[in-house]
Amino acid sequence: MSLAARAVFGLLLFAAMALFPRPASAQETPYFITYSHRLEEPGNLELEFSSNYAAQRGGNDFVAPWLEIEYGATGWWTTEIYIDSQHTLGDGALFTGWRWENRFRPLMREHWINPVLYVEYEDVNGADKTMIEVVGFDGEADHAVRNAVASREHLHEIETKLILSSDFKGWNISENFIAEKNTGHAPWEFGYAVAASRPLRLAATARPCNFCRENIVAGVEMYGGLGTTDSATLSGTSHYLAPMVAWQMPSGVTLRISPGWGLTHPSHRFLLRWGVTYEISGFGGKVRKLFR
Amino acid sequence: MTRHAIPLLLLLASAAFAAAGAGGQKSNGPKSSGDDRGVLRAIAEAPVATREWVNPYEGQADAVAAGKKLYLRHCAECHGRDARGSGRAVNLRSPGVQNAAPGELVWFLRSGNLWRGMPSWSGMPVERRWQIVTYLKSLR
Repeated sequence: MSLAARAVFGLLLFAAMALFPRPASAQETPYFITYSHRLEEPGNLELEFSSNYAAQRGGNDFVAPWLEIEYGATGWWTTEIYIDSQHTLGDGALFTGWRWENRFRPLMREHWINPVLYVEYEDVNGADKTMIEVVGFDGEADHAVRNAVASREHLHEIETKLILSSDFKGWNISENFIAEKNTGHAPWEFGYAVAASRPLRLAATARPCNFCRENIVAGVEMYGGLGTTDSATLSGTSHYLAPMVAWQMPSGVTLRISPGWGLTHPSHRFLLRWGVTYEISGFGGKVRKLFR
Repeated sequence: MTRHAIPLLLLLASAAFAAAGAGGQKSNGPKSSGDDRGVLRAIAEAPVATREWVNPYEGQADAVAAGKKLYLRHCAECHGRDARGSGRAVNLRSPGVQNAAPGELVWFLRSGNLWRGMPSWSGMPVERRWQIVTYLKSLR
């Protein structure tokens, strides 16, 4: 991870904890790739620092950290900005771009299956290795190119997702259908992500606790590419299976970790993702007071 | 990249401020007296069958304590630590809420009222929603 990325995140987290000492505790899913229908609570701000380590055949292993700043604009709209970076061993570190995503819940009530519409604009370069989504024929070979060469390619992409998600007896089950288009003349690329998770204990205990089963959520996700409009297929695409666990502390901090394994030849053999999240309740109201 | 980044970041900042401004209109009001008719109407829209749901934790002191813990963690920011409302959200000690059936409140917690800013708490296991309702009913 680059020193600059670490410094920026550290400063943001320190400022958040100093200025907004009342953290929130939302209904987080432990997923790194799959989205559920749970949006950010209105007025809350979430800072998240995550990272993706990948073992690389035909090149050097890398770590790709990213920073997420997520805001609950309304009860049905969450907006989020990402700042991506990466460090390839023996090849240096660099900032690889940014993304702006928006999620909308079209239905105002809870249903058995809850749809969410997702739209994202990405301005990243070819050296981006965060692998926040896997689409088309994305594969390990794409990440073997040296940074100096890969970063010359600039990608302006629109990504859309249909998110379907259900909560049932403590379980969350989510399915994402992804369509991504380079604003140039590349074809649409498709992908998917599915996941399930559940807290280790459903009812809360009467006593306050930090490291207890009710604060731990475990799950598993699977994601991969589905080819392009020219060749929609499962063959020759990357697919991953990744169990994960999240520890949601009452202080508002959530820690997550997820090892992942590639299931097909074009996939990385092994991934390890981890992240730390800090949620600030009532951020919007506090910002408004500054401008009064 | 900068050519595209600047207008989009400006757009993002505008959207965030617009959303913050919209929220501000709600929070400028007086402390809720519990007569937020929109929320109470939403609770009243719960299916009739929910009135018959039996609270599995009714009368259990541990459930009240657990519900209070959950309330302070998830609800107090908007409804106030004393549950009397904060201007952003309805007074939970008001007759409109206290007279609702426990099942109606559990249903409402699951469904939320997204248009009015009440999130859906479907991600919270139903056991915990019952514990919160048990605590709220103990405030009567």
